[in-house]
Amino acid sequence: MLAYVLAALVMMYVSYSVPRWLPGDFVTAMYSSSHVTLNAEQEAELRAYYTERPGFGRYLVDLFTLNWGYSFAFLTPISELIGEALPWSLLLLGTAHLLSMILGFLAGVEAAWRRGGLVEKAGVGSMTILEGIPEIGTAVILLLIFALHLGWLPAAGGETAYVEHSTGQWILDVMGHVALPLATLCLAYFPGNFLLTRGSMVMVLKEQFIDTARAKGLPPARIRYAHAARNALLPMVTRFGLRIAFMVTGALVVETIYAYPGLGTLLFNAISMRDLPLIQGIVLFSSLVVLFVNLALEFAYGWIDPRVKHAF
Amino acid sequence: MTGAALGLLLAFLVLAGPWLARHDPHDMSFRPLSPPSSEHWLGVNDGGMDLFSELLHGIRNTVIFGLLTGMTALVIGVVIGLVSAWFGGVPDHFLMRLAEILLAIPAVMILILVAAFFRPSPLILSLILAALSWPTSAKAIRAQALVVKEGVHIQAARQMGASGAYIIARHLMPELFPLYLISFAAKARMAMFMEASLSFLGLFDPTRKSLGMMISYALKYYYLEIWWNWLIPPILCLTLLIMAVTFLAVSLEKVFDPRLKEAW
Repeated sequence: MLAYVLAALVMMYVSYSVPRWLPGDFVTAMYSSSHVTLNAEQEAELRAYYTERPGFGRYLVDLFTLNWGYSFAFLTPISELIGEALPWSLLLLGTAHLLSMILGFLAGVEAAWRRGGLVEKAGVGSMTILEGIPEIGTAVILLLIFALHLGWLPAAGGETAYVEHSTGQWILDVMGHVALPLATLCLAYFPGNFLLTRGSMVMVLKEQFIDTARAKGLPPARIRYAHAARNALLPMVTRFGLRIAFMVTGALVVETIYAYPGLGTLLFNAISMRDLPLIQGIVLFSSLVVLFVNLALEFAYGWIDPRVKHAF
Repeated sequence: MTGAALGLLLAFLVLAGPWLARHDPHDMSFRPLSPPSSEHWLGVNDGGMDLFSELLHGIRNTVIFGLLTGMTALVIGVVIGLVSAWFGGVPDHFLMRLAEILLAIPAVMILILVAAFFRPSPLILSLILAALSWPTSAKAIRAQALVVKEGVHIQAARQMGASGAYIIARHLMPELFPLYLISFAAKARMAMFMEASLSFLGLFDPTRKSLGMMISYALKYYYLEIWWNWLIPPILCLTLLIMAVTFLAVSLEKVFDPRLKEAW
């Protein structure tokens, strides 16, 4: 708990001080490489503005009042740009994690139950291979096959632009656009969840309470899910927490390849236009989201495994 | 086995790369976008540079970045893990709290911020990544070192008057060797993935050849017939690279963690 608060403070402080470590003063550093050309009067005003409110405390106040400054490239408040991109990223990443966790968990439980079978062996083998393929590769190959070669799904964007849709059509349109990036991310996350659940299930199934449950004559599905699988859930959630920062990197690349209008693409555009305030805003915002998710998981542990609660 | 074979092939490409490449990858004197020929095995890119040489240099840079980061993170992790386990008390408490804070911070975000603002050399970025990613190794090594530290042979060595430095160097460090390999492989894999992603996003020096950058540039010309000679080769190499390291990590864990062996 304390670690997350400290980590959040570190992130905020780094984000506050990075522009100030650049050579020259803050205004030159932030505006020299941008498209914006300032006249002398504007420069003086900006300088006065930034010397008037230099402190870290002031920065924190601005941060919490969503006063994150302006983007050079889009000439829009940063909070507005992030607000527009966020729902798309949440839709894509949320669905991808939900799907791959549920499916990976179920498949892992069933695979451990049928251990040694031909299907199980083939499944483990192919998942181990799939685990080694980076998102960048899957994304380009799916794009090549389904969007460019077969033409079944759109290659870019989050919805068809400039088209009047009824709500139903709009939902279908959005689903069509999200399908390929979603499939890419699921292919990246599913194998890990599957292999881990299977591994912990194999260990759990050797425990004595499983023998007891069998001896009581419980139906196999009940033993699998009510007795055994609950114990295999915790490692998967822990792994999610440990890997979330790593997975954000992959999601950035996938969004960029499909030009999906989420935070990743926004960050890519900001980087290619050297829009420093926007980069800073997105980086800080996504780090805080990652920290928040980790903190929420901490509470989820207690709910998944009541034994954890007693440890504190 | 597969991992080792792939690893050998890639190691050969990395070591022999500069001799295999028939052109300087920065030489822009060829006809842009020409298809593969006997002179240019994979053709030429939009800037008139030989793609095959670019590919070889890209693999080299990605692998070097991965190995360097993995090595540095491992060394920091081993030192901190051992210090933490051996001394216990205040240093242990302090170092482990520090590890927890670093674990919570998404390293990629700091890298993006630093790379975008300061445009540092790949070496600096690799060191920053290592400085942010040692905690998992340190925690694993500390946990195992605590177990080994209580072993009978360590007690015996102590009884015979061995110094702390002697026990750490002769007993603790060698006994934890399998852990080093596992955590090195995991870190190197993470670092290669990061390098590819960051160079894909355009955060590295654009004159530095990299697999991620090649993919990013090739995607701009996706409507041309460049799929097979420009886009697929770097993707294939990157995938093989990450796969090789993953297989290596998985088989190392299987060999050294008997608990896991049972599960397979």
